Formats: sequence, C-alpha cells, structure tokens
Amino acid sequence: MPSWPRSSLFAGAMIVLLALAIFPWLGAPVYFVSLLFTVFMYVCLATSWNLIGGYAGYLSFGHVAFFGIGAYTTALLVKGFHLSALETILSSVPAGFVAMLVALLVGYPCLRLRGPYFAVVTLCFAFVMDLLIKNLNFLGGPEGLWLKSMDLPIQTVRAILFEAMLGVTALSIAVAYWTDRSKFGAGLRAIREDEEVAQTMAINAPKLKMQAFALSAFFPGMAGGIYAYYLTYIHTDVVFDMMISILIVLMALFGGGGTLLGPIIGAVLLTLINEGLSTFVKAELARIIYGSLFVGVIIFLPNGIMEFFRRTQGESPH
Amino acid sequence: MLEGEKVTKHFGGLVALSEIDFEINRGEIVGLIGPNGSGKTTLFNVISGLYKPESGQIRFEGTLINGLPPYRIAQMGIGRTFQIVRPLMDLSLIQNVAIGVMYGRDDINTLPHALERASELLRFVGLESKAYLLPGKLALEDLKRLEIARALASKPEIILLDEVFAGLNQKEIEAAIALTFHIRDRFGITVFMIEHVMKAIMETCSRIMVLHHGEKIAEGEPQAVANDPRVIQAYLGAGYVGR
Repeated sequence: MPSWPRSSLFAGAMIVLLALAIFPWLGAPVYFVSLLFTVFMYVCLATSWNLIGGYAGYLSFGHVAFFGIGAYTTALLVKGFHLSALETILSSVPAGFVAMLVALLVGYPCLRLRGPYFAVVTLCFAFVMDLLIKNLNFLGGPEGLWLKSMDLPIQTVRAILFEAMLGVTALSIAVAYWTDRSKFGAGLRAIREDEEVAQTMAINAPKLKMQAFALSAFFPGMAGGIYAYYLTYIHTDVVFDMMISILIVLMALFGGGGTLLGPIIGAVLLTLINEGLSTFVKAELARIIYGSLFVGVIIFLPNGIMEFFRRTQGESPH
Repeated sequence: MLEGEKVTKHFGGLVALSEIDFEINRGEIVGLIGPNGSGKTTLFNVISGLYKPESGQIRFEGTLINGLPPYRIAQMGIGRTFQIVRPLMDLSLIQNVAIGVMYGRDDINTLPHALERASELLRFVGLESKAYLLPGKLALEDLKRLEIARALASKPEIILLDEVFAGLNQKEIEAAIALTFHIRDRFGITVFMIEHVMKAIMETCSRIMVLHHGEKIAEGEPQAVANDPRVIQAYLGAGYVGR
C-alpha cells in the first residue's frame, strides 16, 4: 500500500466523505441516491466481513445473519418504544450490539472449527436464524414486518438514512484502517497464515478471533437496522437472503481479502457493474458477463484486484 | 528452570513418550537426540503446549505448565522453532518477526518499533538483506534462520530448537553452531535442541539426552553418551556395540 503522509490521507478521506454527505441534498434523482446507499451498504458489509474473513482467514458465509438480526432488532425497538426520527437512527446502535452479542455466542463454539468446517457452520447458522425468525409470530413470521416511517417528507427521510449509512460505512472503514496497521491486525494475519505457529508466537488466538468476529458482526448489525428503515418493510427473505452472504464474501475477495482497500473496491465495482449490466444489457447476457468477470479475476488475480497494485509496486508491504 | 516429571504422551495405542524425566538449567545448551520416531519432536510439542500430555508434570520456573494453551506457554518465556519450517507465507520476513515482537515479552506494541526490533533480529541471524522478501523466495537455510529470529522475537527465556541444522552443508553448520552460542551468550537464552548432526551436538551441548521408542535411555556429557552401548544399539543395532 502506498504510504502517503497520514495527514494528507486523512484530509483526502474527509473531502470524499463530505462530498458524499452533501450529495442527497443536491436534489439528485432518487435512483442515484438509492444506488449510492446500496453501494455504501455493501462497502460496509464487505469491509466488516474482511476483519474476520480477510485478516483472520475465517471465511464466514453467514454474515447476512448479523445484517438480519440488526434489521429485526431495530424494527422491534422502533415498534416497542415508538421512537422519534432521531431515536430511530440511534436505534441501529443497540442493533449493532445485539448482532455482536450473537456473534460472541455463535463464535465461541464455531471459531474452534477451521477452514471449510467454519464456512459451512456459519452458513447453517444463517439458515437457522432465517427459519427461527420466520417462525416467530411476534416478529411478523412469514408475513414480514411493516415499519412506520418517520413523520418527515420522504426525500428528507431518505437523505437522513443515507447519511446514517454513510456514517456507519465510514466508521467501519476507520476500524478497518486501524486494524490494518495495529497489533490486533498483525495478530489476525498470523492466525490466517498458521494458527498453531501464531500461538507459539504468544498470540492469544482464541481471544483475537472472538474479537474480530464480534467486531465484524457489529457494523452489519447497524447497517441492517438502517436498511430496515430504508425499506420500511422487512421480511426474512430480504434481510436474511443468502445471496447477500455470498455477495459479501465475493466482493471482499474480488477486491482483495486482508487488505484495507480490497473490500471497498470490490463492493463498489461489483455493485455498480451489477447495476449497470441489469440496466443496459439483456438479463441473460448480463449474467454471463458478470460470471466471466469473476472467472477472469480469479484466473489472473487470484488474490483480488489489490494484487495488481501490489505487483506494480514491488513486494515491499511498507 | 524447565523440568519434566514422568511426562507421558500416547497417540491411540502408541506410547510416544513414556515417563520422561528431564531438567534444563538456566544458561545450559542441552541436546536431545534419538533415532527417527523416538519422540523428540513430540516432547517439544508437549512442552510448548501443542499436545497435552496424558500424565506427568512439566514445570517452568516452578510453575506447572502442562495443560496451558500454547500462547500462554509462549508468553511465559518458552520459544520454539519448527523442524519442518513454518513461515507465515504471505508476510515478508520482517513482518513475520515483527508480529512476534509485538506479542512477545518485550514491551513493544506499535508496528514501527516492532519493525525496528525485527530488523535488528534479522541482522543477528544474517537475513537483513532479505528482510522485505516473502519466505517463498528463500532457501531452506534462510528459512531456518527465520524460524530462529521469529522465536527470538518473543524474547524467550528458553528456546526449543527443532533440528535447525538438518539439511545444511558443512559451512552452514559452522555458521549455525556460532549462532547457537550467540543465542545463549548475547541474549542469555537457555537452549534445548533436537539435533541429528553429531558435529553440532558435540560442539555446542554441555549435556545430551537420548530418547528411543519414547523412553529416555541415556543422559550425560556428549562424549560419554556417544560411547554408551545403549545409544549405539539404538542407532545402529546390537551388532555394533563394542566395535
């Protein structure tokens, strides 16, 4: 990764953030606001997933569960306490913590498994959560759950939720940035490469994995809460959609797992390409192009797009 | 500083270690030899916590350590290398070592400081010019040096060296012997080493233990052990004893 001075990096990030933040207030068509909202959401999901999947090498295929848990937690909070507009936004914070708590409970047994076993058991976890909520009547069950929207004009509501999603995404990237250059991230990398060796290097692998897993569940939980309110209607088929789980993994690995920018690049590119293809190309053709893109990247850049930059810069990671 | 009492480890019906007693004193260089499959690496794995012994006790500085997770044992000051080298393949040499420094017993927690310390350690083992390469580019000798640098990174009190001389040529062995002495003399680290290269054992160790079929069959000064009939029998068969 290029090592710009920290201050200019920060200034650049702030400018980008500010530019994105004023976008919904400029009167742009709803379509673009909505598209950008989706991009942020996937950037946030892929970046969070990268903490456990990319840095620690534990491929979680059940991350949509945390997203869904966040969505339902927010819905319950809003319904149960008749929250105001501001409180609605803030209710995604406890949603993040609930997702984190579930991650701790699930992670404790599951993180003892490695490789494909961990991937399968997390996949099952997401299926179980989906079924569980489908069968709980107070959560709407198979009917889904309607949420009352805020008492504000719809554009304003969209803009507020847009800012909230942008905020969560920025926060997740900030945490990933810190992880990338901290002792914590270094420990996770060692675990990914060889967990036994990591332990003989005095790295408390069980604890670090739990922390990474909990952290990687927190932001999807928050994002789920905001998304629930954006849709105003949630259903398990939507917020526990297995395709989201798979997309998160694909995006992070497409861009480059275990790198800061990889998941961001992957999420932005894949969301935009997918959108572009479904708008401008016939559906059958779109799938073929989308698929070939993956095949191409996997063949030529098996470690994701970030590898291309690393190659051109030589091998020094610092 | 490190002592074992009746340490026993089974794999199914196979007795890999049978009531092994041992004691390593601070400042010693102790050798552990024995034919293939005699349980040497198993003993190291039991000490470093990768395996849990079925019975017996291992104490480090008087504290019982068997049953503790490997990272706890490493935190207490027992470092090790692996016989079949296990570098962190996707990370450069200096990162391999720096991670060990950050999690080790030195009070270094930030990456820049850890990298500084790591580059000192790489210089010590003679890898400073390759610090930013990936381990995949290195020859075996260098990878063994990396194993040592990484083990030193945690700042251990005692280091378990598992066949760091194997596969090296004459000249490389000389260098490795010098390195072994440096580890003890410059860092004050006690050394417990598994070795097949007799020249290395004879020159470095003050004491040798011999394992055979999971049992300790001899212990003592290198010269005496090398002439011990039980040891010769274990390595070469009964017919060679006394020749």
